[in-house]
Amino acid sequence: MKILIIGLTLMLAGCVTPPAKYDMSAFQAAAPRSILVVPMVNRSLDLDAPNYVLSTLPIPLAEKGYYVFPVNTTKYVLEQEGMYEADRIHAQPTESLAKLFGADAVLYITINRWDAQYAFITTTVTVDFDYRIVSKDGTEIWKAHKTMQYTPQNSNTGLLGAIISAALARATPNYMPLAQQANRQVFVLGENALPDGPYLTNKAP
Amino acid sequence: MRLVALAFTALVLSGCATQSRHTYDWDGYDSMLYAGYKDPARMQEMKLELERHIAEMDRSGQKIAPGLLAELGTLYLQSGSSDQAIMMYGRERDTWPESQGLMTAMIKNIERRKKAKMEVITQ
Repeated sequence: MKILIIGLTLMLAGCVTPPAKYDMSAFQAAAPRSILVVPMVNRSLDLDAPNYVLSTLPIPLAEKGYYVFPVNTTKYVLEQEGMYEADRIHAQPTESLAKLFGADAVLYITINRWDAQYAFITTTVTVDFDYRIVSKDGTEIWKAHKTMQYTPQNSNTGLLGAIISAALARATPNYMPLAQQANRQVFVLGENALPDGPYLTNKAP
Repeated sequence: MRLVALAFTALVLSGCATQSRHTYDWDGYDSMLYAGYKDPARMQEMKLELERHIAEMDRSGQKIAPGLLAELGTLYLQSGSSDQAIMMYGRERDTWPESQGLMTAMIKNIERRKKAKMEVITQ
């Protein structure tokens, strides 16, 4: 029963949208139609994290009403231009990146954490991202920070079960749902969620 | 009991009950990308999956989600099918005006490379 209550609390905590009050005037003034997602700067130890995070971004942003430049094509074009390192890409003036792609705004993400921490019988999986959207003229128009964690719960399997399940989470930590949830929290549900983009607002009667 | 707990965990992780319906049909685009990044050999699968998806959307006359036509174009380009790449980039441009600058540049670039190759052959 306890686990049900924990689950319910978690669920509610994850779903309550706090009252929205955040200065969106810069974003609204820029009114981007399109967003270019560039490869993520990675401060975690997992070399694959940036590509995995990249795969979680187009859907929530496009569903929010923006044209999202195809992320794999973007990566390919940047590589053709000799830009393989995210640190270097993030250091470029946004104006020139936006111009290269014809984008209205650029989304920069830094992965601060993407790890699984092991205690004796539990494993905690954590992702932590910094998000920043800069308009094509170089003005920062939006930013957010998100940490997401989960610790696989054990119900009635006892100590051995707990150890086995912690070991499982440790062998194959599942980061993707956490990354997806972090994106949803900042883009859609959070206090400074993105305003609806042109493909959502134009549809309104 | 365990099942119920699992179901709850799944719900929590899947982004809560407030999950909104999608505007576009993505047909597993994110999982395809994930699989392709995890194992580059699976990018070939992504090409086939996108071909299938786009054919399906064409048959039912639905608008294709932003970026998918271009992603298929790039997969064609990377496997040497430049004519098919041009076709997909052209379709992305016609479907999504925001992509016009990039798609036009991609197409011009492929055409320039093709011309350069032709010149080498005919010399």
